[in-house]
Amino acid sequence: MKKRKQGVAKREALRRESDRVLRDRIRRLLEKPPDERTHFLRKRVGFTASCL
Amino acid sequence: MSYCMDARPILFTLARVLDEEGLEAVMIGNAAAALHGAPVTTLDFDFLFRKTPGNLRKLKGVAKSLGAMLLKPYYPVSDLFRIERDEDSLHVDFMSRIDGVRSLAALRSRASRIDFGGHVLLVADLADIIKSKTAAGRPRDRAVLEILEKALDEKKKAGSGEA
Repeated sequence: MKKRKQGVAKREALRRESDRVLRDRIRRLLEKPPDERTHFLRKRVGFTASCL
Repeated sequence: MSYCMDARPILFTLARVLDEEGLEAVMIGNAAAALHGAPVTTLDFDFLFRKTPGNLRKLKGVAKSLGAMLLKPYYPVSDLFRIERDEDSLHVDFMSRIDGVRSLAALRSRASRIDFGGHVLLVADLADIIKSKTAAGRPRDRAVLEILEKALDEKKKAGSGEA
């Protein structure tokens, strides 16, 4: 029972920490002007050929 | 495998070409959300436009100016027009309707106007992007909803003056 409670507390702490980190990232982005929030374009790299 | 790059040069080009061709389109999707400060990534750019014969001519002009091909990948099922450029995998989708958005005029009236090198790009409001992704309900849309909602929340808290 104690172990289960500890697990729940750990998960809750992890969730809170993830939320804090995400909100920090958003705040840092919001400090920039909109035309500088531009590092979002994902580019595929590497070979895409098949072995056939 | 993929990496993230700065979309600024492409955004400058898109804003200029849309302006020069006189094609009015509102940026939607993850690229628009990222410009609003949401830490999301994307492989392409999405726009909503009004499908008229005149705008389709302008869209052909946009593709030509970009040195790209204009495709209609899911014809006749969807109203999607895709601009693709092989040399740098540029991928821009133009749609005439999306889930959760009733009118282009309303979307445009709430959109932000972001200047890229003297040319203005219309970027849909973050609340509209959230509404659209919620209505679409695809797993990839649902996956980013929490991030977008937190970004909107932080934006409201910051009392951002961006239109």
